[in-house]
Amino acid sequence: MMRIFCRHAIPDTGLPVHLMNLLATLRKAAETLIVTLAVTGFLLAPLSAIAVPAKSVLVLYSNNRLVPGNVAVDHGLGAALQNTGERSVRTYSEFLDSPEFSGEAYENLVVSYLHGKYAGSPPDAIVAVSDDALGFIVRHRAQLFPGAPVVYTGVPAKVLQTLQPLPADIVGVPNDFDYSSTISQALRWHPNARRLVIVTGASWQDKATEARLRRELPAVMGGVATEFWSGLPVTVLQNRLRSLDPGSVVFTAGFFQDGDGNQFNPHDSAILIASAAAAPVYGPFETFIGTGVVGGRMPSFEQMGRQAGQAVNAIFAGAAPATLRLPTSTPAPLQLDWRQAQRWRIDEKMIPAGTVVHFKEPSVWEAHRTEVLIALSVILLQAAFIMALFIERRRRSAAELTTQNLNAQLAHASRLAVAGELTAAIAHEINQPLGAIQTSADAADLLLQSNGDRREDLLRIVTRIRRDTVRASDVIRRLRTLLARHEPERRAFDLAAAMSDVAMILRPEAERRKVTLDVRPMFAPPSVAGDRTQIQQVLINLVLNAMDAVTGLPENRRLIEVLIERRDANARISVQDRGCGIPGETLPKLFDSFFSTKQQGMGLGLSIARSIVDAHGGRIWAENREGHGAAFHVELPEAVAEAVALPSPL
Amino acid sequence: MNKPPIIHVVDDDESLRASLIELFKAAGYGVREYASTGDFLLAPPADEPGCLLLDVRLPGPSGLELQSGMRRHGIDLPVIFLTGYADVPTSVRAMKAGAVDFLEKPVTREVLLEAIRRALAYDAAQRAVRDSARKRSARLQALTIREREVFDRIVEGKLNKQIADELGVALRTVKAYRSQLMIKLGVNSAAELGKFAGLEASPLGD
Repeated sequence: MMRIFCRHAIPDTGLPVHLMNLLATLRKAAETLIVTLAVTGFLLAPLSAIAVPAKSVLVLYSNNRLVPGNVAVDHGLGAALQNTGERSVRTYSEFLDSPEFSGEAYENLVVSYLHGKYAGSPPDAIVAVSDDALGFIVRHRAQLFPGAPVVYTGVPAKVLQTLQPLPADIVGVPNDFDYSSTISQALRWHPNARRLVIVTGASWQDKATEARLRRELPAVMGGVATEFWSGLPVTVLQNRLRSLDPGSVVFTAGFFQDGDGNQFNPHDSAILIASAAAAPVYGPFETFIGTGVVGGRMPSFEQMGRQAGQAVNAIFAGAAPATLRLPTSTPAPLQLDWRQAQRWRIDEKMIPAGTVVHFKEPSVWEAHRTEVLIALSVILLQAAFIMALFIERRRRSAAELTTQNLNAQLAHASRLAVAGELTAAIAHEINQPLGAIQTSADAADLLLQSNGDRREDLLRIVTRIRRDTVRASDVIRRLRTLLARHEPERRAFDLAAAMSDVAMILRPEAERRKVTLDVRPMFAPPSVAGDRTQIQQVLINLVLNAMDAVTGLPENRRLIEVLIERRDANARISVQDRGCGIPGETLPKLFDSFFSTKQQGMGLGLSIARSIVDAHGGRIWAENREGHGAAFHVELPEAVAEAVALPSPL
Repeated sequence: MNKPPIIHVVDDDESLRASLIELFKAAGYGVREYASTGDFLLAPPADEPGCLLLDVRLPGPSGLELQSGMRRHGIDLPVIFLTGYADVPTSVRAMKAGAVDFLEKPVTREVLLEAIRRALAYDAAQRAVRDSARKRSARLQALTIREREVFDRIVEGKLNKQIADELGVALRTVKAYRSQLMIKLGVNSAAELGKFAGLEASPLGD
């Protein structure tokens, strides 16, 4: 049966090609022999006297040497023979080129060829590959290689039965191409199939196959209708295959000849069938994998070769052939073309464990396990890192929010403290109009008690009372603006107007302390963006500090000057005094928290001032003036032209 | 009361000052107002009945400084201090310097007008004392040298005979000078003469 396997389409051009093949084979064998003899004679002879004597094996194949099955057997056989290591084994291969060449005359020619060729160095063992080779050996061994033990492989059990009884020194592992189990597996994979099409050919081997299938099939068929398409011309066959309905399954063992008498080999015929069929095609031969056939139970040719090689090794080691315990058959694993399984939607879960799956692209995971693992861990690490950064960011923004709140609270607390400092002045500032109102009311009272028309005087007094009421409530409103807790806001405001409000608030305190507060007026004062109250708080702080600096000095030095200027794109407001200046060592610590040179200072005023100015994108700094005193500067970015200065909230 | 006494108000707070002016006007007083001590000194009051209501804290020289400087400028008005910040050292200083009152803002009408009344009464009394002193010295100026020598010796408590001996004149002449100077000084009895002499602390002073 080995002769049916041929992966490459060999042009069916007739005998001359085959003859050339044979001649080439013979020439190659001769060359191999010469080289081997030379090597053995000159190099290995001294060694072989000491080591295990070299042995030779003649491998006789039934058909052409390029048949894929033969190549696979050769592979397995060579691997097994070389595995022993201690013994050098020479292997010679001969090919009977069946079925193209057959008949008594051809056989006699081959016998005389082999007889002449191996007369000088008869092989120590024979391996017969497939049934034709075994039959040839059985018929001609006594004449060609008497006494040489024979190991056969790739011979179906049924063929062996026809050759019985075999001599005791002809042994091997029978094999079987299990059509039935291939078909039943196919029907399991296609549970909806209602039609089974068996394709066979027109040659005598094809008819034998058809007969076998007709014998075996009824046992495995359930409710599936079976049709035999036997001996059809290829064109007809292909047309019918194309029009198959989806509920069909095709089985073929390939064929050697079609209805028009054209010659094929099973491999090529499988390609023709699978390429045309509109239904999945199954077959029993390993060589069908890759032709478009889905799969089947297919013995491994390489495995056959290996088993034969192992048997030869055992015989060379001294075992009598009859005593060898050989397997009862070559295993026929289920084999599957993954691409076809996908095409015909075979449920992956239905593929039994141990199935040899071909052409399955290894998944990314299977092919690049390490790379995938590395990439995955990089991604995971990255994700973790990103998460960590994200959490950190959330935490930080929460902290920033808290800090902002705390800053606002602190600023408010500081304003309250300032208010506390200003209590006396504020009380005075409110008492003045209140006292005036009371006095005016007293005056009105007196006028009413007196005789005569004092209407004009009364009118004047009432006007005065009103004016003083407004004045008192103005003071309170200014204070409330300063002291009320409010969300920090951002809007453009006139810096000079803000400063003049500050001056109004501080004027009584300045008077109380006999300090002159000189706010230089400015034409077209700059406007800045931000929280007016907070900036006012900074200014109050600076002016109060300046007052502290000059209190206790002679009155002519109790002068505080406030200047507002433009510097580039900034508005600068400077508070200058004529005090004693700032000692050099305290200058850098001036804006630190809890740093104070005052007896009762908390040391928060300037640090809060700095945090407010920072939040407005500005800067605050102090310096000593030439001569006397200190200067504190606040620089704030000037509001852009579009930002309209909003009316003062006071 | 042909001409009402004048209240001089020195306060830098315009509204308070104005309301005080209204009150004093309503109470029937004459008023003059000044925003600072400087204003007051630039237009010193005429010598007429009145008083000075002075804010302690003023721009420039303070109320206390004005108070101490008034004498040098020959201004003799009773001073009432009015202040927003009544601290003990300031009030003590003010009172020692002769302030008639020291009021804290806000002040009720009763307290304020009462203080004004007291100050004006004090001013009137001071003014009366100053008037009589001026009259006495004018009368003493009218005496001849002989009459004055006799007056001085009477004030020393000497008898007519002793005076006659000291001056080397007759007793009768001393008696004539005595009745003459009693007429000039406007006294009717020896007791009145003694009282006049008692008030005159410094016989030859102004």
